[in-house]
Amino acid sequence: MKQKISLFDGASLLIAFLTVLFLTASIGTIVIGGMPFLPAAFRSEEVLFSIRLSLVTSTLSTLLCFAVGIPCAYALARCRMPLRNLCRLVLELPLSLPYLVLGLCLLMMFSSDAGRFLKEFGIRVIFEPAGIVMAQWIVNIPFVIRLMRTALEELDERLEFIAGTLGASRWQRFLTITLPLCRNSILMAAILTWSRAIGEFGATLMLVGVTRMKTETLPASIYLNISTGDNGMAMASAILLLAISGTALLLSALLQRRAASRMEGISWR
Amino acid sequence: MAIAPLEFDNFCLRRGDMRITNISFSLQERETFAILGRTGAGKTLLLESAAGFYPPESGRVLLYGTPVRDIPLTERRIGFVYQDYALFPHMTVEDNIAYGLRVRRASHAEQEEKVRTIAELLGISHVRKNYPQTLSGGERQRVALARALVLRPRLLLLDEPFSSLDPATRKTLYGKVRRIPHTFNCAVLFVTHDFREAQSLASRIGVMAHGKMLCIRPADELFLRSDDPELNTFLGLEDHA
Repeated sequence: MKQKISLFDGASLLIAFLTVLFLTASIGTIVIGGMPFLPAAFRSEEVLFSIRLSLVTSTLSTLLCFAVGIPCAYALARCRMPLRNLCRLVLELPLSLPYLVLGLCLLMMFSSDAGRFLKEFGIRVIFEPAGIVMAQWIVNIPFVIRLMRTALEELDERLEFIAGTLGASRWQRFLTITLPLCRNSILMAAILTWSRAIGEFGATLMLVGVTRMKTETLPASIYLNISTGDNGMAMASAILLLAISGTALLLSALLQRRAASRMEGISWR
Repeated sequence: MAIAPLEFDNFCLRRGDMRITNISFSLQERETFAILGRTGAGKTLLLESAAGFYPPESGRVLLYGTPVRDIPLTERRIGFVYQDYALFPHMTVEDNIAYGLRVRRASHAEQEEKVRTIAELLGISHVRKNYPQTLSGGERQRVALARALVLRPRLLLLDEPFSSLDPATRKTLYGKVRRIPHTFNCAVLFVTHDFREAQSLASRIGVMAHGKMLCIRPADELFLRSDDPELNTFLGLEDHA
């Protein structure tokens, strides 16, 4: 029997279909245009350098995000702290700030006396590769805190309490109950953070600029190639970024599905 | 005079809309005490307060004479079994049971021996390698009991432990729970909304409504008429004359 589609459903489907079409066309333009230049990109010293730099900086910044983000999220979700709402606001504020502004904040901070003081101790950030890690970190830290806080808040606090009554210290509870139960959330957040870091450009541009073969990440490479009119190489670099982001999205979706099936039948409350 | 394993002394607490007022009673050694009340009476809140989950608004909760929250959580020697059992979903049954022994750094041989003994006692040896998600309600309940009892707690707190079980499993487990105080030398405080369950397991019963303790009676005197109309209504003793 033929099922009638209502006007509302029809309109929604049409809008969704047109959006998919538009996005496919946009991405397709780059993929089709950049494909012939991919072999050359893989032979280019500059592109290979930018891939290496992007992989190293995004991995480092992701690790740094989790080293800081998990304790912050735990404090917000589990600990009694003064001015909790204000702290939460400050920690998650960068989520709604333009990345250029975040980069500017870092630039101003590291150009100040405090920044110069740090420089004397070998902590060089401005116009240095370390600045890329810093820029990626500030862009992603609120994102990690938000994701981890949500994961911790969804976790049944009673499990930690029960573990405590069984003799587990705070550290033991964290390591044996909290972290393993958040494992999938951590993995998913790590993949998303890493792919966001690899594509970060605004804050990086503000803090370290774009210096060929020094602070040239993949997005910076696209920017440089476009600036010099080498559209083919820019599109080839864009394909690489697309491939990385696509893989990360796929991995994250797979993990989410695995997590959902593992936790089927478990009710926290 | 022996110190009570658990004592509520004019205990008051407010959590959201729920308010518990002026609760005073104490448990004796190896006693099973039931708190009976309807859903929303404040029973679970009181049970969690016995474990020191919440700081009192006023009054005290004493564990062997010491305010419960003055004792570090890890040293309270309390066994807690929640209504939904709150088993660790990422651990097998034997890892759940051995958890307390492991964090207390018991030797591998001791862990193995104690887990085997308690699993046999509670009839869950056959599911030792299983994960909690694959167990039936009755098995989960026994795993939660085993996890709490393997450390020989001084006080066992049970939150509606039989509410999600079928009548046959319930009957089997009543026998096991009845023997706990003497086998494990501990006092048991449990909450329930089931009159028959309270009478069948406890020596004394406290009836709770709207965060207040309406009365505390020996189990066999639960249905005696009182001057309190609220209590009579709860017990189904309304005067229809």
